Amino acid sequence: MLTKTKFVAEDLKVVGTRPIRPDGVPKVTGMAQYGADYSLPGMLWAKILRSPHAHARIRSIDVSRALELPGVKAIVTKDDFPEQSFDYIGPDRVAVNYWHMTRNVMAREKVLYEGHAVAAVAATTQSIAEQALALIQVDYEVLPHVIDVDDAMRPDAPLLFEDMITRGMTPPPTKPSNISRWAEFKTGDVDAAFAKADAVVELSFKTSPVHQGYIEPHACLARFGADGQCEIWSSSQGHFFVRAYTAKLLGMNLGDLVVHPAEIGGGFGGKTVVYVEPVAAALSRKTGRPVKVAMTREDVTRATGPTSGSSMTVKVGATKDGKIVAADAVFKLQAGAFPGSPVLNACMCSFSPYEIENVRTVGYDVVSNRPKAAAYRAPGSPIAAFAVESVLDKLAQEIGMDPVQFRLKNAVKAGSPTFWGPKHAHDGYAETLQALMAHPEYQKPLGKNQGRGVASGFWFNGGGESTATIHINEDGTVMLATGSMDVGGSRASMAMMAAETLGVPYETVRSTVADTASIGYNHVTGGSRVTYATGMAVIEACQQIIKDLCHRAALTWDVKDEDVIWENGHAKPASPEVGSFEPLSLKAIAAKRAVTGGPIVTESAVNAGGMAPGFASQFIDVEVDPETGAVKVLRAVCAQDVGKAIHPSYCEGQIHGGVVQGIGWALNEEYVYDKQGRLENPGFLDYRIPVASDLPMIEALMVEVPNPNHPYGVKGVGEANIIPVMAAIANAIERATGKRLTQLPMSPPRVLEALDA
Amino acid sequence: MSKQHVSTVINGNPVEFLCQPQQTLLDVLRNDLNMTGTKEGCGTGDCGACSITMDDRLVCSCLVLGVEANGKKIETIEGMSSGDGLHILQQKFLEHAALQCGICTPGILVAARSLLERNPDPTEEQVRFWLAGNLCRCTGYNKIIEAVLDAARVMRGA
Amino acid sequence: MLDEVGKLIDPPLVRVVFTAGFSNSYTGGVREFQVRARNMRGVIKQMDDLFPGLGEVLEEDTNVSVDGELHEVVYTQPVYPGSEIFFMPKLEAG
Repeated sequence: MLTKTKFVAEDLKVVGTRPIRPDGVPKVTGMAQYGADYSLPGMLWAKILRSPHAHARIRSIDVSRALELPGVKAIVTKDDFPEQSFDYIGPDRVAVNYWHMTRNVMAREKVLYEGHAVAAVAATTQSIAEQALALIQVDYEVLPHVIDVDDAMRPDAPLLFEDMITRGMTPPPTKPSNISRWAEFKTGDVDAAFAKADAVVELSFKTSPVHQGYIEPHACLARFGADGQCEIWSSSQGHFFVRAYTAKLLGMNLGDLVVHPAEIGGGFGGKTVVYVEPVAAALSRKTGRPVKVAMTREDVTRATGPTSGSSMTVKVGATKDGKIVAADAVFKLQAGAFPGSPVLNACMCSFSPYEIENVRTVGYDVVSNRPKAAAYRAPGSPIAAFAVESVLDKLAQEIGMDPVQFRLKNAVKAGSPTFWGPKHAHDGYAETLQALMAHPEYQKPLGKNQGRGVASGFWFNGGGESTATIHINEDGTVMLATGSMDVGGSRASMAMMAAETLGVPYETVRSTVADTASIGYNHVTGGSRVTYATGMAVIEACQQIIKDLCHRAALTWDVKDEDVIWENGHAKPASPEVGSFEPLSLKAIAAKRAVTGGPIVTESAVNAGGMAPGFASQFIDVEVDPETGAVKVLRAVCAQDVGKAIHPSYCEGQIHGGVVQGIGWALNEEYVYDKQGRLENPGFLDYRIPVASDLPMIEALMVEVPNPNHPYGVKGVGEANIIPVMAAIANAIERATGKRLTQLPMSPPRVLEALDA
Repeated sequence: MSKQHVSTVINGNPVEFLCQPQQTLLDVLRNDLNMTGTKEGCGTGDCGACSITMDDRLVCSCLVLGVEANGKKIETIEGMSSGDGLHILQQKFLEHAALQCGICTPGILVAARSLLERNPDPTEEQVRFWLAGNLCRCTGYNKIIEAVLDAARVMRGA
Repeated sequence: MLDEVGKLIDPPLVRVVFTAGFSNSYTGGVREFQVRARNMRGVIKQMDDLFPGLGEVLEEDTNVSVDGELHEVVYTQPVYPGSEIFFMPKLEAG
């Protein structure tokens, strides 16, 4: 039930401090169990056979020789997964289509990317399973493939789906294409406004897809019993959706499947989908034994969803005193083998930090022969921001204005319109720009081949469904459980908010993540939603239990409920007139729980709204080596409106981590394909993410403009920090060299090419 | 091919195991000895999540064969703390919030301990270059470096 | 609905707005409507009366902003006289 919890936080004792997280000791001692760390007696190992072709029709699959290999217990192919009907279910920007999903998990008529799963083997050892893969014979009819988004949009491009008609266009096109969706957002009249602008900049951009790069490959253990009951231990960003998708793909009731949340070794959005769980469950069902699946790094890069590559054109016009009057953008995003790029997000986030009266953004979602895109930290927004923030930088140069001042002049605040719909309800953006300008290094002069780049970004941040349960133990300590997977320390912040609300020491609150059988529904850990929405569930649960505790105190004092208040972790008489009763602690009330009504427990469920968006603004200083084209990041100062930092170290950590991912995206990361559409750099050696020696200390500036809708003022923190990085670096390179790069990554060969041009 | 017998000392304890000649030490540790503290991130020696020390030398256990451990002294994350206390590095990682998802943490702790055994007073740059073989995707390395430098300071008695 | 002295009062007028794309697909290209409602359930019911089937789309596929504050679509969400109620595509997480 959505209610606005009303108390304003002052004199905080726990929130805002930096205690140690409850899962810390297991993680630093190697005791924490991740998806690949579970085993059960009699367990089998599974390996997945993957397509060597980027695009091919499957004529037949012959598993007979593989089945004969001693130690092989079962093999699954598409025949072991029921067909799903073709239906886009649910929200438009994240519509699920099980017809696509089952095919992504196990190919049916065609393979649509190199690495596409075709069959899976369960055997008594890993090496037997590997050998069995080599004995499975698949007869492919190789088809021409297409990978690049512009190539995939050409009228003569090979089609992935013969019947794909672009959705969202009225009237719909008559011929099929690889464009699964078209969308447009607009306000005002851009063409008329451009005609009146003093300065107009139009540029086109291309970006490569990049992988979330989580260090832990996908892995799970499944145990399917002869009674139709299944348990799965998997690392994911949401065990409730793992349950939902796995059950659907196997044709099971939700109640027959329990998913246990293993610790997760990084997700960033890439683990909000299933790959291995349905396969493990299907093999376990077929063999009657537990089955473990762990992807290799090559499998991860070949077959799991990165974010989209893109082709974009952005045009912005401004008056000579710096008012942006018109903005127009076309975003073409690569969805991979099945529809679902974050193009709608790109369209909507792109110009959201700015008050512009005339805006048009058009988006294309385009399929091509590479893995299906999955979410990656503010999906779509960083891609759009690379283009938009680069154009704004050039425009600022043309009118002779400081880039931060230019943004400040057009910055949105509470009450400003968005071009795609409602007004902004929250301040916070301008404050991030002001934090940059106030930073002592912002005015610091730079040397030869060095440059400073500025950029900003916007992300919606999520709310949604969360559940929290609280039990008061017999000794007065507190058990707190939620269903939100902990990727970055959320168990600590949940315990902190509970300790603060209850008025008890942090050390007496034990915070855990419960499995799908033990707690109500929780939406994914992603979208920067957990501290906000699950936090609200926790706080509401605390408030409910405080009521219960006061009621029990009232019973023992023979007074009315209204005569008892809760203060500093104790029930106290509301006034001296009520009586001179000693305050009762949690321990004292818990000791009397049996006679006052039984166990002291509560559960609270929310569908949280009123969340505030994330704004981030950054300046990044680089040095370009003119001989090698290598770009070194000298300094990155990153301001973000966090609302209220519950645990400042974990907020800072999100900013550091997102910015470094952005640096990798800007400078190194890309997929390299050969002429057959096969990936040439599937490992961490050549898919090069930033290492410690590449980087300076990242400076996180946490700006706190509290969200009045959350009792502690929380705004989501996880995602906005990645958005500005690539444009900030491109802008810095331009200042250092006079050359503007419009293609990502800005790797040494590309920088050299620009310098020599 | 039949299995080979290997005798080794792991975290101070004598351990014997049988393994196939082509099995990596990482596979033996995780799947035969149930020591899952050492993680597999890539299997090709590029990420450092499987870092251990072998005769005091920092190695990726995915690049070491199980049979190569014969007669050697192996140290893994499971042996880092002693008794009921944590190693100062582990303690500092917790205090500095130098981990988010924690998957790279065992490898980085083993690598950091190896650094401090050789160089008790490293500069920030030296720490960064020593840890360049350990990938972290969550933290941006900031707090990891701070934790290692702080632990070094404490260990020097500074 | 009765006020304190028992007189019948209408729910207040609110503005319901859609994006251009959404309106093209579901409301014949019309982007703005005025309906009478006290809460989100009332809004959805009115829109569903105008365009049968639209109610389910609004419930399942959208987030809604009430006077700029972003919310999940929940029946009991109150709306106020003159509120601007903007339905938009639901969010994706990363």
